[in-house]
Amino acid sequence: MTRFLFTLCLAASAAMAANLTDSLKAGKPALKSASVLAFGPEGILFVGDSMGAQVVAIDTGDRKASSAAGVELKGVAAKVAGLLGTAPDQILVNDMAVNPLSRNIYLAVSRGRGPDAAAVIVKVDTKGTLTEVALDNVKHSAVSLPNAAAVDAKDRRGQSLRTEAITDIGWVDGRVLVAGLSNEEFSSNLRAIPFPFQTADNGSSVEIFHGAHGRFETNSPVRTFLPYKIAGEQHLLAAYTCTPLVKFPISALQPGAKVKGVTIAELGNRNRPLDMVSYSKGGKPFILMNNSSRGVMKLPANGLDSYKGITAQTDVTGVPYETVAAWKGVEQIDGFDTKTVSMLVRGEDGSLDLKTVEFP
Amino acid sequence: MAVALVVGAATAQQADLAVALDRAGGVIRVRGKLVAEALRTRPADELVRVFVAEAGAEAPAVGGSYAGEGDAIVFTPRFPFEPGIAYRVEWDEGAATMTVRAGKVVPGGTTAVARIYPTADALPENLLKFYLHFTAPMSRGEAYSRVKLLDESGKAVEAPFLELDQELWDSEGRRFTLFFDPGRIKREVTPNMEAGLPLKAGRSYTLVVSREWKDAKSSPLRREARKTFRVVPADRTPIDLKTWRIAAPTAGSRGALEVRLGEPVDHALADWMIEVMGSDGPLPGRVELTESESVWRFVPDVAWKAGNHQLRVAVTLEDLAGNKVGRAFDVDVFQKVEKLSQTRKMMLPFRVDAPR
Repeated sequence: MTRFLFTLCLAASAAMAANLTDSLKAGKPALKSASVLAFGPEGILFVGDSMGAQVVAIDTGDRKASSAAGVELKGVAAKVAGLLGTAPDQILVNDMAVNPLSRNIYLAVSRGRGPDAAAVIVKVDTKGTLTEVALDNVKHSAVSLPNAAAVDAKDRRGQSLRTEAITDIGWVDGRVLVAGLSNEEFSSNLRAIPFPFQTADNGSSVEIFHGAHGRFETNSPVRTFLPYKIAGEQHLLAAYTCTPLVKFPISALQPGAKVKGVTIAELGNRNRPLDMVSYSKGGKPFILMNNSSRGVMKLPANGLDSYKGITAQTDVTGVPYETVAAWKGVEQIDGFDTKTVSMLVRGEDGSLDLKTVEFP
Repeated sequence: MAVALVVGAATAQQADLAVALDRAGGVIRVRGKLVAEALRTRPADELVRVFVAEAGAEAPAVGGSYAGEGDAIVFTPRFPFEPGIAYRVEWDEGAATMTVRAGKVVPGGTTAVARIYPTADALPENLLKFYLHFTAPMSRGEAYSRVKLLDESGKAVEAPFLELDQELWDSEGRRFTLFFDPGRIKREVTPNMEAGLPLKAGRSYTLVVSREWKDAKSSPLRREARKTFRVVPADRTPIDLKTWRIAAPTAGSRGALEVRLGEPVDHALADWMIEVMGSDGPLPGRVELTESESVWRFVPDVAWKAGNHQLRVAVTLEDLAGNKVGRAFDVDVFQKVEKLSQTRKMMLPFRVDAPR
């Protein structure tokens, strides 16, 4: 899940609050999977549903401000399994998001591992109590993720084996951004979806961008991204599966526009970025990024505009980073408040623990 | 595979309480004189709680609803009880505890790898992906620990694949897409320069799919699957439709249209990105790929009519190295997609003639 600076979040809520939840209608969302989560303003939770090829906006109604400290919860998967009446090995925690208003933590869960697995959202409140977020009658709206190619595929065969994995989702300035990767052609899509979703949206309002960066780079999948202001301009920092960190201005995401990203960091080989959060400490801005094999990295976010693009032909050095040596096995991160970060940590015994600790 | 349910210990008794897991109704019933008495003064959901035994002492109770019915409390779980799982039923905050089981899972082991694509024995150094087809739905969350790539000496190639938490499955869970790490295939990016291509031309490799990989019913595969192949030099040439050779059938027949593509292509994409257009639009029919996916064959549902036809090809069709029509894998693009289906297709005309 992607998080942005709290100042940004508050500015957005103030401007948009008037009728955001008004666009949501009561009923039961047809959620086939809960792959990724992101909070927008007003306690609205966006759920990226890879199997259902849609984004669902849910009014959690969870808007009561809290100043509680973060909870610690050991064996999260086992506890979720208990709540959902199944074995711990049948629980996959796909994503985690902190509600910036209430500080309750939301988990995107698969109950079961096969194609029939149930999609469940579990809430961990500030006392550590787990509850399933009831979706039987909830204010929501959904937008399908259009795929022109897949429509053709269905026309002839009646069904398609093509799916698209949603790798990240985020809210920025009135739009939901969705990064995805097809299971067939090697193309990475970034979609910008205006919210509130349009009535009976068949995806026509969704703009699709194919991502790439630098010479000799191509449709590399964006694993995680972070909306971030650089020199007063809203940018997207995108971390690719093949490890570069790339920036590009959001204003460039316009119909017909060619967008060129600038690689500002190379984060190492045999590694996948997982999540990014931004924060400030001692008056200085930082970005925290957890990785599949290179631990948790802390990058100074000052003057990101000053970095020249990294290309093989030059010896430009990218944004420096330090590794937070003490933090191991961090699978998910999200900012809890301005001082602390919530994490799902895989222990050596394989258990998944929820922790909230001070930003490094 | 069908899961056989054995009643086993579906009932338990302690003091004046009898607990039964009713599989047919999908409920747990706690019955006894004690229950009837207690229900007079306290609500059902305060008297009985159901837990997953294996989830540990601190796990929350199983979600669901409780109802008092005479001398019984009936618990209906939010999700169906799972075979093989022990449920701990607590009476009155632990005053009595009983365990019931929803039956046993009979081990299956009948699912297998049906096919691995591409099927060719010789694959390019910059091969982009494998597709693993299974005979039944598979389980998520362990894919990348169940596949490995061995070199000739049997040593595992380090980190050759792109690992995505989401795992790229089709909606049925029967086809898994395994991409090579694109960072190692693309030229002039750090992983490629530091670690090089995962495959080296002139060598042989074996893709091994472990028997331990579980299907959707948590049973391991029937057997391990292997695909051994040799590696030929990298293919960095875009697909060129001018090199395709179309052999048209005769009018009145339902003979196969045969298109020789000159190289193997991605079977999943070729299955739907190539279409035959008649005078009234796309023709319905069956597609098959032969000769290591280098020949595309189309058998129409109805007999061919004489006249002009066209082969319509999406430019996003890929060969085994991700080269598209007119565009190699290693190129620089970042632009909005405009009406992909309408504008990005190419036409190859051909004629169907009456038999001579």
